[in-house]
Amino acid sequence: MALKPLRLPLALTPPPLRRLGLADVVMLCLLGGAIATVVAFAREFQAPFLQAVRIDLRPVALPKYTLFSLSRGVIALLISYVFALGFGWTAAKSRAAERLLLPLLDILQSIPVLGFLPGLVLGLMSLFPARNVGLELAAILMIFTAQAWNLALSFYNSLKSLPEPLRDASRMAGWGSSRTFWRLELPAAAQGLVWNGMLSMAGGWFFLMVNEAFRLGDRDYRLPGIGSYMSVALDRGNAQAVGLAIVAMVVMIVSVDQLLWRPLVVWVEKFRLDDTAGELVPGSWVLEFLRRARLPRRAAALQRRAYRTAVRATQPLQRPFRAARPLVVNGPRLAFGNPVARKLGVAALVAGLAVAAGLGVWHLSLLLRQLGRSDWATLASSAGLTFVRVMGAVALATAWALPAGVVIGRSPRLAQLMQPVIQVVASFPAPMLFPLVVIALERVGLRLGVGAVVLMVLSGQWYILFNVISAVAAIPEQLKEAVTVFRLSSLARWRSLYLPAAFPALATGWVTAAGGAWNGSIVAEYMEVGGALRTTRGLGSLISEATAHANFALLAGGITIMSVIVVGWNRLVWRPLGSWAQTRFQVGQ
Amino acid sequence: MTPGGVLLEARHVTQRFRLPNGQVLEALRDVSLAVREHEVVALVGPSGCGKSTLLRLLAGLTRPADGQLLYRGQPLDGVLGAAAMVFQSFALLPWLTVAENVAMGLETRGVNGAARRDAVARAINLVGLDGFEQAYPKELSGGMKQRVGFARALAVAPEILLMDEPFGALDPLTAENLRSQAVSLWRDPATGVNTMVIVTHSVEEAVFLAGRIVVFGSNPGHVREELINQLPYPRKERSPQFEEMVDRLHAILTATLLPEAEPAPAAAPQRLPPFARVHVAEVTGLLDHLLTRPDGKGPVFELSEDLGVDYDRMSAVVRGAEQLGWVTTPGEIVQLTPAGREIMAMDDAARKDATRARLSRHPLFARILGMLKEGEGSVEDEEVLADLTIYFPFIPADSLFQTIIEWGRYAELLDHDADAARLTLLTS
Repeated sequence: MALKPLRLPLALTPPPLRRLGLADVVMLCLLGGAIATVVAFAREFQAPFLQAVRIDLRPVALPKYTLFSLSRGVIALLISYVFALGFGWTAAKSRAAERLLLPLLDILQSIPVLGFLPGLVLGLMSLFPARNVGLELAAILMIFTAQAWNLALSFYNSLKSLPEPLRDASRMAGWGSSRTFWRLELPAAAQGLVWNGMLSMAGGWFFLMVNEAFRLGDRDYRLPGIGSYMSVALDRGNAQAVGLAIVAMVVMIVSVDQLLWRPLVVWVEKFRLDDTAGELVPGSWVLEFLRRARLPRRAAALQRRAYRTAVRATQPLQRPFRAARPLVVNGPRLAFGNPVARKLGVAALVAGLAVAAGLGVWHLSLLLRQLGRSDWATLASSAGLTFVRVMGAVALATAWALPAGVVIGRSPRLAQLMQPVIQVVASFPAPMLFPLVVIALERVGLRLGVGAVVLMVLSGQWYILFNVISAVAAIPEQLKEAVTVFRLSSLARWRSLYLPAAFPALATGWVTAAGGAWNGSIVAEYMEVGGALRTTRGLGSLISEATAHANFALLAGGITIMSVIVVGWNRLVWRPLGSWAQTRFQVGQ
Repeated sequence: MTPGGVLLEARHVTQRFRLPNGQVLEALRDVSLAVREHEVVALVGPSGCGKSTLLRLLAGLTRPADGQLLYRGQPLDGVLGAAAMVFQSFALLPWLTVAENVAMGLETRGVNGAARRDAVARAINLVGLDGFEQAYPKELSGGMKQRVGFARALAVAPEILLMDEPFGALDPLTAENLRSQAVSLWRDPATGVNTMVIVTHSVEEAVFLAGRIVVFGSNPGHVREELINQLPYPRKERSPQFEEMVDRLHAILTATLLPEAEPAPAAAPQRLPPFARVHVAEVTGLLDHLLTRPDGKGPVFELSEDLGVDYDRMSAVVRGAEQLGWVTTPGEIVQLTPAGREIMAMDDAARKDATRARLSRHPLFARILGMLKEGEGSVEDEEVLADLTIYFPFIPADSLFQTIIEWGRYAELLDHDADAARLTLLTS
């Protein structure tokens, strides 16, 4: 049996968008507003906050910290799912919402959200100064921003590609929108949601580790978890604890994969829409176990009974709800059924957005006006430095991941063998290793200025590797045979088959890899290792430093420039390159 | 059963769609159709004639841009509850079992508990699927899946059964079997179904099932002709009356698909005949086949059967060959012309030369060649596409453009540079 290609979720391909439109401009303005808000938020924070995080480095304490980290990731994932369902549904149902939300998603997906981290942490700390609530919220919010977008896009795509006869059939059956959602739309989207959830979770660990180990200058915002355990262990030079933290992380990733994702992936096969027998889905021992076991079935029966009891118990409560129902449910429906009311509603919404966007831009411009000419020069040169690093990182990552991906992808056996290993390694959050890498690089005489590039490679390389493997594995067997029959030399094989076939996937991989590298720059250019602060000039360190020194105008400028560069580069370079590669080198069809 | 009063009616219905490229396509123009009680109506016509669109309008799944839909004299508001629908692609939910799929329409109609189980069991029994209640659709063959589709429709005991090419995706044997069953379901008073509307591609199917056959024309979709079919049920496909009916319908369809040559375009320079969107190999394949026939001729539907090409496609290929003067079509007969015989006797190079000569005389090619000469041998794709869109608003410009490129390249008249997105003139 031939191995099917590693499947990558749809979300890695950008949403179908035309050129820069009005909606994009609105979105960019709103983004400006967001920057202004975060900065204003951070400004509220005045009292120097010194939280010496108490981390127990004994191995017995480690499971507790692991669970802390895990629960943050899971909570954020649940929030992301709820958000994705609402967002995707709205975008798919309303043409007007679609026109606003798709560009928004595109921008949110590409801006380096880590740039907002320092401001966000400071701001939330000011709201909840006494307790860790602010930090926890910031952590969950950061992970959420890493997880939500591809889920939302996946749900939107599933809704849009739902075959029309299925919709017609459910409408002919008289299904209302809620029944249609639960029994048609959600099941049809289940596969995409699970596969993307898996990816999101991996992305979430990256942000969680940064968050848990976050320090700014002399201020310590670390949260109890694996990330801070690692960071404290490094501070104290406790090699054993460092090793244990890494082991704990790997154990967590592997068990989440085995206990959560693998069973889910196997289970959602049931919701496959097309009739093809399905790709080679690895079995799941956990699901087998659950299916064979009696207890779950008993639990299901219990659950049903509990549900019925609960329904009965809430009956007295249902009457007021039922009374309110016409108002709550039908009120908006009636209101939106009326064309005048609908137009008014849309107008109000548009006006509200316009006002928000306008205010945001105005506030941002107020902040930016405080920047002098020298500030702008600093910003520009730092941005240039970081840009060069990001591109260097992408090039370096390509240099190893492209050949490796081709070699793995063209041999089904190797791909099957490597897949689980690569999946675990790729899920491992790179920031946890940053300090180790920095120390190692310093041993061989490389300073952070160059070392940061290596760290950025770590943040982005997997996307390239994954995309190349799946593209090469998808080359039709007959093409490979043709190349063999005509006895092309191995150089010619690469030039005429593997590289062109991998190119479209490579182009998509570059977008995500560059995004990862930009995010990585925030951490890589300004980091505290073993009690000593190391920085190197660049946009990432500029943002962190501006926050540490309460230079809010510079902070706003830094985030703005970074967002503009990333979004602009995506639109002007990556996107056209991707669509060109797609039309020119797509294998088959 | 004799048709009773009007049950479902479309009055002067027009429907338009906006295509992804911004073009507006008129799928139906001013169509009126009354479906009476106890009647089976078949809608036939070339693909893209809007017959499925009309079916969706009748079901209340979409609203018309213009005109009215009435059920028992009342304007239709939303989905028609008295109807159920059977789809070509079955439209079963893969995550529901057969029984759950069949029950889809019952819950919302307030049929619950034991009554629901009974209704499901009865519907499953009617289509002969007993024993498969707990199977998932992916475990069933195509014919079985469509039985589930029928059971789902019958479970709600609909007054009207709407069917969109219900046998189109099935193999001929299964289709024939299900067709006879559809007739008996309609004639069986126990099912509650008293009226059926079926969209179909197959002439035999229409004659087999329908009491009234409505033939549609395209660009934009409109009703061309209605044919009353009073053969008694159950109909026998080999009987002379049946075959006569089939021939009559074939003749009407052929006239729809292959209109007699229009007066010379010189009189009206604004109108260009489109070029049939067919491949070079298809046209030469047709000529090759005609050569093997006595006198080099045969009726279109026979050709389509012999070559295993569907009727629509066959007609398009015939139109293509006719445009180049290689066949003529007196009535529904396709006749190889002397020019057609000649070209088949040539070697490859001579054939290309002859094709080139024919093509350059075709008004559409002549126009494009003119554009190329004006542009000093090269024009942008965009320009040609815009031109095609203006002249042929009902034909997807991209696909017509692809055809032009293919024929142009074959005849070595022109070439296309995909990277620069330009069409270039070949001069030799």
